[in-house]
Amino acid sequence: MAHDTPELQYEHSSNLITISRLSQQAPRILAQHSPSGDGSLVAPFLKPQYHESYDLLEQLAFACLQSGDDRSALLCIDRLASRFGSSNEKVTALRGLHEEATAEDRAALEECLHKYNAILSRDPVNLPILKRRVALLRSLSRPVEAITGLIRLLDAVPTDSEAWCELADLYQSQGLSSQAVFSLEEALLIVPNAWNVHCRLGEVLYSCASSTDVGKACHLLRRCIQYFCRSIELCAEYLRGFYGLSVATSLLLEKKTDYEEESSASANSMSTDTLKSLNTFARMRLEEIVARRSSDHHLWEYGQAELIAVKELLDRYNRASD
Amino acid sequence: MALQGVEQTILRDPALFYWIVFPITIVMILTGILRHYATVLMNNPPKPAATLAESRERLGLIRGVNFRNNAYVLSPESCEMRRKYLISAYQEGAFLKDPENRGQPPANPMTDPAGMEAMMGMMKGNMMMMIPQTLIMSWINAFFSGFVILKLPFPLTIRFKSMLQSGVMTRDLDVRWVSSLSWYFLNLFGLQSVFGFILGSDNAASQMAQQMAGMNPAAGMNPFQPGQDPDKMYQNEAENLAVMEHFCILDGIEERILQNYGSSEAY
Repeated sequence: MAHDTPELQYEHSSNLITISRLSQQAPRILAQHSPSGDGSLVAPFLKPQYHESYDLLEQLAFACLQSGDDRSALLCIDRLASRFGSSNEKVTALRGLHEEATAEDRAALEECLHKYNAILSRDPVNLPILKRRVALLRSLSRPVEAITGLIRLLDAVPTDSEAWCELADLYQSQGLSSQAVFSLEEALLIVPNAWNVHCRLGEVLYSCASSTDVGKACHLLRRCIQYFCRSIELCAEYLRGFYGLSVATSLLLEKKTDYEEESSASANSMSTDTLKSLNTFARMRLEEIVARRSSDHHLWEYGQAELIAVKELLDRYNRASD
Repeated sequence: MALQGVEQTILRDPALFYWIVFPITIVMILTGILRHYATVLMNNPPKPAATLAESRERLGLIRGVNFRNNAYVLSPESCEMRRKYLISAYQEGAFLKDPENRGQPPANPMTDPAGMEAMMGMMKGNMMMMIPQTLIMSWINAFFSGFVILKLPFPLTIRFKSMLQSGVMTRDLDVRWVSSLSWYFLNLFGLQSVFGFILGSDNAASQMAQQMAGMNPAAGMNPFQPGQDPDKMYQNEAENLAVMEHFCILDGIEERILQNYGSSEAY
């Protein structure tokens, strides 16, 4: 709900270690931020910190909910409610999130959904609640309804890149790849420099390519290589981009050898030499990044899962070349 | 004409300094702070869209602008597809709040409550600047007019005379002498940084912020000014899209990558 750029959100939500570390600060922040200090005369003179502390509380509420510390989260939400009023859009959404997190069974979640519907019938443009409703439908495994809700939301708010990304994810989970590609392209139009969205688009195209016939696959793979390249161009250290580039180029090289003979004349295809050097380049950079991150404790913690996947890939290559 | 090289001396009561310079400065600062809080109190934020259709009407235009600016991320086919869709949607008014009202003249902003509110907001802002200034200036004119209150420690050219000595009709006075009315003007324009220090950088007391806000009210939220016809804006945007030139940043990216990043390594 805080309008983070999608890349920030990706980094945050994918890293449980950071989240648990953040939520461990809850007692300190909650103690520091005493609600009695509000409305005093000094408040205007402390303005910058004053605003930030509420931002901090919101973030803390999310971190606590993600790490299972529901009581601290409720405290944060109560403080926010005492400042902004409990009918504030963000506060209601946070309360809803807390209810969802503490819901015991499916019936309780359905109850949440009814509440959201009731709120929306009163105030149809309550964006945080609209988004919560979609997320809840998704977690109730009713993806079709979630997609319908999200399309209605995007019809009214076509400039929300996060919503487009979410829609792409939903489509992808339903196997509707071309729709997912369309949604990601819409997201890119709003945040043209987001390397993770470029990379995600490449990944979706790649998974498309691995499930179609050879001629179409080559075209798709070429496109997905371009998107991976662009994400690397935007962020020279982006592990996922290099991974994708490496996998996609090897697959295209493989397919090309079967297919090349028939249609080598197509104008926009890239030469095999370029492909080979791209493949080597990606592999070398992957090895380099893995070597550096493995030696550094902090960097290693940062994206463990991805690093492990990369190591596995490199192992596979080494075994294949032996 | 003042004699060159000869220092003009004026015998002043030192109390002038304490009874005029300080009061004016303090009053100016206090008014600035007061104005800030009055503006904050009276300022009502621009209304968010009340219905989904209204939100679509506002953001549909921004979508087109976004597309026009960032179309370089798309491949030519998908760009062409989107362009066709957006142009036809704009021309048919698919994003309009109430499509049946198309072509009718826009409602008079005086009778439209939303437009009225926006105009009132602008008026309030202007009043907030005008009233205190008028009051203080007449206060200074009534009490302190004609006082020469301080002497600048550096020489100035004759052009500054009208700026520094308003209210003192003496032709021969050295430009370095500052009159009380001029001290007021100097304060009026020179206290921005003091307000910035006291109230934070985005305070409402500073005139610059006022002027900027007048030019572009609530830039992000509502692209339509009161009284503007959304349909006309859409037609404009459709034309912009029709003449748009597309280039694709993905063309030749493989070679670019290899050149920029891969050149250091030997293959």
